[in-house]
Amino acid sequence: MDELIIAGRKFNSRLLIGTGKYSSSAVMAKAIEASGAEIVTVALRRVDITNQNDDMLTAIDRDKYLLLPNTSGARTADEAIRLSRLARAATGINWVKLEVTPDPYYLLPDPIETLKAAEILVKEGFVVLPYINADPILSKKLQDVGTATVMPLASPIGSNQGLKTRSAIEIIIEQANVPVVVDAGLGLPSHAAEAMEIGADAVLVNTAIATAADPVKMAESFKLAVQAGRMAFVSGAAAESQKASASSPLTGFLRNE
Amino acid sequence: MSVIEKQIDIKNILADRGLDGWGKDIWMKRLGEIKPSEVEWALSRKPGYYVLDRLLILLSPAAENYLEQMAQIAHQVTLRRFGRTVRLYAPLYLSNYCVNGCVYCGFNKSNPFPRIRLSIEQALAEADIIAKEGFRDLLLVSSEDKEFISVDYLCELATKLRPKFSSISVEIYQMATDEYAKLFAAGIEGVTLYQETYDRDTYRKYHLSGPKADYDYRLSAPDSYAKAGMREIGIGALLGLSDWRLETLSLAEHAQYLMKHYWQSRVSFSFPRLRPAKDVDQSQFNLLSDKNLVQMILALRLCFADAGMTISTREPAYLRDHLVTLGITRMSAGSKTNPGGYTNHTGSVGQFEIDDKRTPAQIAAMLKSQNLEPVWKDWDAGFLLPPVSH
Amino acid sequence: MNVLKVNGKEKTFAPDKMPATIVDLLKLLGIDSATVVAELDGQIIERANFAATALKDGQSIELVRFVGGG
Repeated sequence: MDELIIAGRKFNSRLLIGTGKYSSSAVMAKAIEASGAEIVTVALRRVDITNQNDDMLTAIDRDKYLLLPNTSGARTADEAIRLSRLARAATGINWVKLEVTPDPYYLLPDPIETLKAAEILVKEGFVVLPYINADPILSKKLQDVGTATVMPLASPIGSNQGLKTRSAIEIIIEQANVPVVVDAGLGLPSHAAEAMEIGADAVLVNTAIATAADPVKMAESFKLAVQAGRMAFVSGAAAESQKASASSPLTGFLRNE
Repeated sequence: MSVIEKQIDIKNILADRGLDGWGKDIWMKRLGEIKPSEVEWALSRKPGYYVLDRLLILLSPAAENYLEQMAQIAHQVTLRRFGRTVRLYAPLYLSNYCVNGCVYCGFNKSNPFPRIRLSIEQALAEADIIAKEGFRDLLLVSSEDKEFISVDYLCELATKLRPKFSSISVEIYQMATDEYAKLFAAGIEGVTLYQETYDRDTYRKYHLSGPKADYDYRLSAPDSYAKAGMREIGIGALLGLSDWRLETLSLAEHAQYLMKHYWQSRVSFSFPRLRPAKDVDQSQFNLLSDKNLVQMILALRLCFADAGMTISTREPAYLRDHLVTLGITRMSAGSKTNPGGYTNHTGSVGQFEIDDKRTPAQIAAMLKSQNLEPVWKDWDAGFLLPPVSH
Repeated sequence: MNVLKVNGKEKTFAPDKMPATIVDLLKLLGIDSATVVAELDGQIIERANFAATALKDGQSIELVRFVGGG
């Protein structure tokens, strides 16, 4: 069985889905259902005490989906740790997507604060899934401190540019001891399929689904793309042929054997 | 520790895949069934792409018809990663006293011959000669003579050698992590140690007594020296004990495991091929042909683009001259495998017979003639260690 | 007058109208306690303890809940 295993827990779906940017909780719930995802990310924000909105948490069936709180909004390790503890108090779940993004324009993750926070959170018993730029050394260091996965970005959040960091992600995948989840910037199902074809263990998609004209259909499309990409990877797709440059024969000396 | 972590251990990896012996027949059958189309698939993958299946295919009898293509790719990959260079090193044998009874080895404790061990001063005299030849990369070798060639002896020797040699590594009996750590602190930056054979039955057959007779203990050695911080992790199998193709599969799994868990060190492969040795009956081995050895080197190079690959003077000159274009990155020259052999005053027994007897200068000339630069000094551990008083 | 800082904004209460516990504050604000996390003066308060946690003049409380995010 080709299951995804994170922190000892098994999943059938390799598509993780985010819940931001939807037009309504109802659409969000339908899209999550269509995606087949089993892990759903959420964020923490102050309650708007002047305006009682829909509480989106009620739209997600906690028995069906694993809620993965993220620490979006945190700009430092301390803030991320604080948010993680709050999230754990809210849900009783100790899984956290660690996101430390001091830059409000590209929302790129801070490698130093992320590593600092990861080390502390792992010690406090959290299952840490860190969001990072596609940095192979950082990935190894995070694994050394005990994170459950690494989540390198394909391109900046919401940019929908696809696998701009492909070469680096390939190295991360080659060297990883934990599942690699490609997160951020996957704008099309073909991007998700590509990530799976090169060996990613899973992908996380939010913007491309939430902002599509038909999010439910787009969610299903991503689901199929992830499955197709994974199948291709497992079946050993042939790569581009290697061109050997013409040069004098190197094994002629063995002819006498 | 999560459930998953417990499973990742080289012993379990080999056992799961039947590579420690029980799956021998299955693997041999698979090797025999590989088709040309599969070889073409394997060749089309990016250099450095390693999965067991790819290596299996490249090692198969079917791949023997593709050696030239493999060689061209291996040559290009090695050139890109390592440049037009080959590192040179010399072995310094410190002792041939041994407490182990390994059937294939010239130093087997039950072989009757006068044993010799070098004092620190004698070892330094040997090293002087080696340094005069131009070497700056030294490999200290010893059989299992822990009592005399102790951790303290090695640390003292390494400290005294550092002014002359920029890189010191060892190929000696297995020790504990904290002992390797002492060696590392004294300036020894690499350890080479061979599992000899990954097949448990074969291992039992050839390792009759002594600490080395314990397969699992032996298998854990690279973990110990990697944990101690060694920069160079050398592994290998003694080719000729078990089937070379299966050994290569096990060796590759071992390498990948080490690369993933000790990511700040470099894994290197060596290819010790059984050679005639005093008082050892050769008829019991599965000797490999030159073609087999070449296929092994090429297959590994295609799967591990960054691994070091070392060839010693066990191998004949003509073969070594070709191997330097096929993926080899480091070679010994002018080697003496008998303690005291460089100063030549003891007439002691060597571990195995040397074949390539050329001098270091001749080897260097050979490399230059192939447009390769002999590198005598690579990394200098001296940068990071406290200053040594001369 | 008593002052409570709620989500960064100061709220003043007549001494007899001051919410006694976190549960009382949430009821006052019309917030469903089942989905909210509270942090009082930097300390996280477990939901089970909302009713038992008294509020005092000058304290700062953060009320946080889950929203959509990637």
